[in-house]
Amino acid sequence: MKLGRLQRWMQAVVVYPGETRNALRSPRAAKLLPLGKIETVLLPSPTLTAAQRIAVYQEMYPMRMRDALASDYPGLEHFLGERFWDFVVAYTRFHPSRRHTLNRLGDHVPAFIARQRTFKPRAFLADLSRLELALTEAFDAPEAPVLKAADFEAIPPASLAGLRLRTIPSLRFVELDWNADAYLDSLKDDQHKHPKPRRVKSLVAAFRRNYRVYRIGVSPAAFRLLSDLAAGRVLGDAVGRSLTRRRPLRATPADFSKWFKEWTAEGLFTLQSARAKPRA
Amino acid sequence: MANRFGFKDLGIGIGLRTAHYPHILSKWPKLDWFEVLSENYMDTGGRPAYVLDQIAERYPVALHGVSMSIGSTDPINREHLRKLKALADRTKAHWVSDHLCWTGVLGRNTHDLLPMPYTEEALTHTIKRARRISEILQRPIILENPSSYVEFTHSTMPEWEFLSRLAIEADCGLLLDVNNVYVSSFNHRYDPVDYINAIPADRVVQYHLAGHTNKGTHIIDTHSDHAINEVWKLYALSCKRTGRVATLYEWDDAIPEFDVVVAEARKAARYRRAVAA
Repeated sequence: MKLGRLQRWMQAVVVYPGETRNALRSPRAAKLLPLGKIETVLLPSPTLTAAQRIAVYQEMYPMRMRDALASDYPGLEHFLGERFWDFVVAYTRFHPSRRHTLNRLGDHVPAFIARQRTFKPRAFLADLSRLELALTEAFDAPEAPVLKAADFEAIPPASLAGLRLRTIPSLRFVELDWNADAYLDSLKDDQHKHPKPRRVKSLVAAFRRNYRVYRIGVSPAAFRLLSDLAAGRVLGDAVGRSLTRRRPLRATPADFSKWFKEWTAEGLFTLQSARAKPRA
Repeated sequence: MANRFGFKDLGIGIGLRTAHYPHILSKWPKLDWFEVLSENYMDTGGRPAYVLDQIAERYPVALHGVSMSIGSTDPINREHLRKLKALADRTKAHWVSDHLCWTGVLGRNTHDLLPMPYTEEALTHTIKRARRISEILQRPIILENPSSYVEFTHSTMPEWEFLSRLAIEADCGLLLDVNNVYVSSFNHRYDPVDYINAIPADRVVQYHLAGHTNKGTHIIDTHSDHAINEVWKLYALSCKRTGRVATLYEWDDAIPEFDVVVAEARKAARYRRAVAA
């Protein structure tokens, strides 16, 4: 058998989700090597048949996928329990790894969860997975020097309105309709008191500081302002929009002082912000 | 005997693992060098990158990959190689290694080190790719012998002949994993001494040592234990042929305390002392 055909056959068997005997008779594998012909390609050993030997690879494949997804989606794994295995099989069938690292295997999980019908409650799981993906992205985002309170205070007041405050690359915003945030919190609870899924609107900012990932809840008005700044609006425009929105999205002058103090303490803006040329 | 590439004998090191980050960053323990799993550091700007930069400032490092897929019939993944070269340059890696294997086709990655058939067709294919990859990386690629669990009916030469010819014809270095030699020799019923004695000694740039799991009917390369005596004996035999070569202990599953891994790695010292530098 030519090398290319051999590799396509072996891969078809190795990634098949199920028993090896079924992998060997799966259409994709059987098209490349008819059932019953395995010993024309693989030798048996004194202790294992050819099928048992390739099973070593085939059995390890889903375990690697499971470990990778469980590492990025501990909440999803915990919620699904034994069904997590079925989820891994279903997900990797549609989204097999195509990259050099398994770190990005779970990038499509939120979209996959949102469109499937097997794992329920679907909307809660979609929220939970979006939140967990945001945490993974925050973990791996590029590092950037942080704008400290003293840097912020040193900006001439006349320049503030035209200042484009740049948020740190790790900052992610997640709008939740379900209590996924509380569910993730409960994973740290030794008593295993996990909340049941219920509809609760919340807004979460996930970010990394000193190489640790954090998430904070933010009010609708603060969330909208922070999102505007992250989208590149200059400070004057973003603040102006915040003042003219309807409640609960409207902010007061007192809010700004409190929020910017909190956000600079959390390190949500980069030092490059202060160096940006103010708009005339 | 020095290797033909002039790569240094870095001494005795261990694989850098996340579980040991706190120990390393707080103690900066005495160790000759670290081997770094390339793919874990290519796409992150977070803590792994920060830790690696700290370590690369203080210790010699070599990069070891699992996704080069040198034997695959898919096109060479240039994006992967671009990132690998950038990482090697950033960390001032002494060398870059990967495995004699393929990891996927049709654009997929199984993230397993799948074995090659040892045929003239596969050898010609792999030599061509190894040369091209070395050109792109602008350094000789170092290839490791894999552990394997299947043998192909149409192989026409033993693994050691394939590996030796590949190394010579593509001008590659070799990372000789002595545990893998033992594991595959058990699984495929050949004499591991024949393997060791056939390897071109001047191309061996690095050794790997590790533990494995014996299932009775076959052995799995789990990197989850101490190395067994038979593996140490093979290491001693090979050291006599190669002289002192950078040696690395891998422990990837059920990872014990840092000091336990280092103590296991340092068992190599007695065999290294017995041979010329």
